[in-house]
Amino acid sequence: MSIASDLIRGHTEAIILAQLMGSDSYGYQINKSIQQKTGGRYELKEATLYTAFRRLEENGSIYSYWGDETTGARRRYYCITDRGREYFEKLKADWQDAKQLIDKLIEEDAQQ
Amino acid sequence: MTDPLRKHIDSLFESAPVSKRTVELKEEMYQNLALKYNDLLAEGKSEEAAYNIVVAGIGDISELLDELQKEEKIDPTVQRRSALLVSVAVMLYILSVVPIIILSEFGMEVLGCVLMFVFVAVATGLLVYHSMSKPKYQKNDDTVVEEFKAWSNQNTQRRQLLKAIDGAIWATVLAVYFILSFMTGAWYITWVIFLLGGAVQGIVKAIFDLSEK
Repeated sequence: MSIASDLIRGHTEAIILAQLMGSDSYGYQINKSIQQKTGGRYELKEATLYTAFRRLEENGSIYSYWGDETTGARRRYYCITDRGREYFEKLKADWQDAKQLIDKLIEEDAQQ
Repeated sequence: MTDPLRKHIDSLFESAPVSKRTVELKEEMYQNLALKYNDLLAEGKSEEAAYNIVVAGIGDISELLDELQKEEKIDPTVQRRSALLVSVAVMLYILSVVPIIILSEFGMEVLGCVLMFVFVAVATGLLVYHSMSKPKYQKNDDTVVEEFKAWSNQNTQRRQLLKAIDGAIWATVLAVYFILSFMTGAWYITWVIFLLGGAVQGIVKAIFDLSEK
């Protein structure tokens, strides 16, 4: 788990953006869906989550707003921007490249 | 039972600058953690277990604190505001004797006296606000010197606050003494107010000492 989470940590931004592609969301909901998707095997630390939010907000990938009382408690929601969608596609492509490369590199040379 | 959470968050962000962003981040974090806490309770966890899981899930917030600190340093308005507060307070102290001098020319000493204490009260209030809204000293590293600086900074901050409150108490006592005495003419008994002032000061100091522990 700890080795895997080190690997995953570098992709926190892509993971968060992926959760926002469908609809706006807030901190706990994002973390909960990450937990559900991984069957409880992975969960972001709050500190990591909010640090990533700020970084993404700074580079214009997402923006935040406070939801009103009609939605329940006053929560801070995050929404992905067009630039964020582009950034997400780029991160995803980067990961595909890296994955292919690493798969090739750690393949055992059985033929030789 | 969600209040210990708020307390915990407050303690985590103790050294963060007092800014809109800090307040917002703390509020956001509290709301999300409270949701998680309630979900854990619904899953059948005990209050203590749920609290521990939530607190453990926060992780290391030093990076967040660094960012808040950085934003604060870029922003010079806070420094300017604090300088303005202190200078206005000092100005009020000096000006506080002006009304009594002018009004005594017209035989309105009491009004002059009241105005003087209003000036003093506002000035003291400004100083109290100023010393309370200053963030705690941020340690640069973990050396003993830095530790001492943080400790002495914390101490002087408390002392200054206590001094400012003392000043406010005595100014108020004096004002009440004069107003009551002039209004009732009962000079033979109104001095008791000073004893009351002493008692109030003692109580404030006791509350301060208690909250320190």
